[in-house]
Amino acid sequence: MFENRTTGLLLVLPAALFAAVLFLVPVGILLSEAFRSDGGSFSIQAYIDFFSSSRNNTVFWRSLKLGLYVMLTSAVIGYATAFCIVQLKPKSRGRIFALIILPLMISPVARTYAWLVILGRTGLVNQVLIGLGLTEDGLRILFTETAVFIGLLQLFLPLMIISLMSSMENMPRDVIPAARVLGASWFSVFFRVILPLTREGLVVGGTLVFAGSMTAYITPAILGGSKVLMLETLLYQRVTVANDYTSASVIAMILVMMSVVTNLLLKRLAKPRNRRV
Amino acid sequence: MKTSSFANWTIIGLTLTFLIGPFIVIILAAMTDGNNLAFPPEGLSLRWFVKVFTIESFRDSFVISMVLAIFGTLAALVIGVPAAYAISRYKVPGAGAVQLIVSSPLIVPGIIVGLALLRYLVIPTGFTIFATLFLAHTALILPYAVRVVTSSLQNLRTDVEEAALILGCSRLGSFFRVVFPNIRGGILAAFILGFVTSFNQVPVSLFLSGPGVRTLPIDMLAYMETTYDPSVAALACLLAFMSVGIVFLAERFLGFSKYV
Repeated sequence: MFENRTTGLLLVLPAALFAAVLFLVPVGILLSEAFRSDGGSFSIQAYIDFFSSSRNNTVFWRSLKLGLYVMLTSAVIGYATAFCIVQLKPKSRGRIFALIILPLMISPVARTYAWLVILGRTGLVNQVLIGLGLTEDGLRILFTETAVFIGLLQLFLPLMIISLMSSMENMPRDVIPAARVLGASWFSVFFRVILPLTREGLVVGGTLVFAGSMTAYITPAILGGSKVLMLETLLYQRVTVANDYTSASVIAMILVMMSVVTNLLLKRLAKPRNRRV
Repeated sequence: MKTSSFANWTIIGLTLTFLIGPFIVIILAAMTDGNNLAFPPEGLSLRWFVKVFTIESFRDSFVISMVLAIFGTLAALVIGVPAAYAISRYKVPGAGAVQLIVSSPLIVPGIIVGLALLRYLVIPTGFTIFATLFLAHTALILPYAVRVVTSSLQNLRTDVEEAALILGCSRLGSFFRVVFPNIRGGILAAFILGFVTSFNQVPVSLFLSGPGVRTLPIDMLAYMETTYDPSVAALACLLAFMSVGIVFLAERFLGFSKYV
């Protein structure tokens, strides 16, 4: 509403400068580091070296794999749960929704720590298994990919449910009964009616969950330890154990690219479709 | 489209058990009377909750996390509110770029920011770890502050401000007397969101810890590596109650969710 551009610029300047100087500059230098050879010229040698190590490769593909597994599983559970929640009366729907988002307010350290008690060698799961006579001295669940998978799933499932719920609430009410009346099985109702109409929520939830899992630190640190490294725990280990800043810079680049692509995707999806509200 | 309501509630119940169940387990495990972290607990007592308060490093890091969360959020609001005001009221040249820069802390994973600041701010300039932590947390909260306050400003009609200006109020006066009282709820919501985000933040602070300077979550991670007793569980419960309590109160008295 005000035309004075200088005043506007002066008002945003402190925030913009602060973020630029504190964020973009140091992060930019860090990212550029892996592109410089010893002589200072441009080179991608660091990337070639990074991916020629089998340990680094394992970590990279493991992060990708766990990200995908967590995303797919949360999509399946998310659809079932969101579908059940939208059927509820508004009052109980609000309450359940509050319970779903409750974990998001809580410190991830606290959320992950609980799994130590449940998945440990003498933990709840093993007690039940031993009690049932299924195993003699308990399974090793902690410090395996399974433990990290479970922890990540619990951490990010609420995001998927929220995204799917908001898509489903926008879905026209009578399309499902219409499809049923016309003879569609539940299978084809899901794949031909629900899925296409909630595609947007699935992509938003999916990218959030995938990127969140790939770039997680706390869950792999607590539940995976040094046995199940993921990208961020590997970065931390390279710096603190080996002073290996070149690998750190390569991992940083991978993480930033992940994040940027995710954000671009979300922005494209969020823009043109606001008309429904 | 009625599916049976029993099946409905079973699925919802299973999901909620998976999401909330671990908290119940850890609350009970923390209330153990024994010396080991175990479920079911060996006898009930609150002694581990009491013990948390006697561990000195937790007390110190709690204070540091509190100071960072409160003053980092205030600092983010001090530079964020003018930016939000400009974005919603002025034609700012390059507004898109400005918004991108301000929101960049949301895009760059925290662990990288912490490492970058350690290497290119702390080491070459001798900035203290605490000051750097403070700046990093401020930058981290900035996007939330700008976003929440901007949306609050966009919901406020501009004619009240124009009326104040026509009646002879200065720009600054109209901001403090007319705009500010109307967006107080949004600013408070931004404060609470920033506080909770900063307090629970781990990745940014991971590399930014030094002798005597550690945030509480980092301290908990370090403690966990060496000790496996129920005190971290008790602390985790206390923190969970604190976050939930703050958000619950905010929702109750402020309608927090409409701002976020």
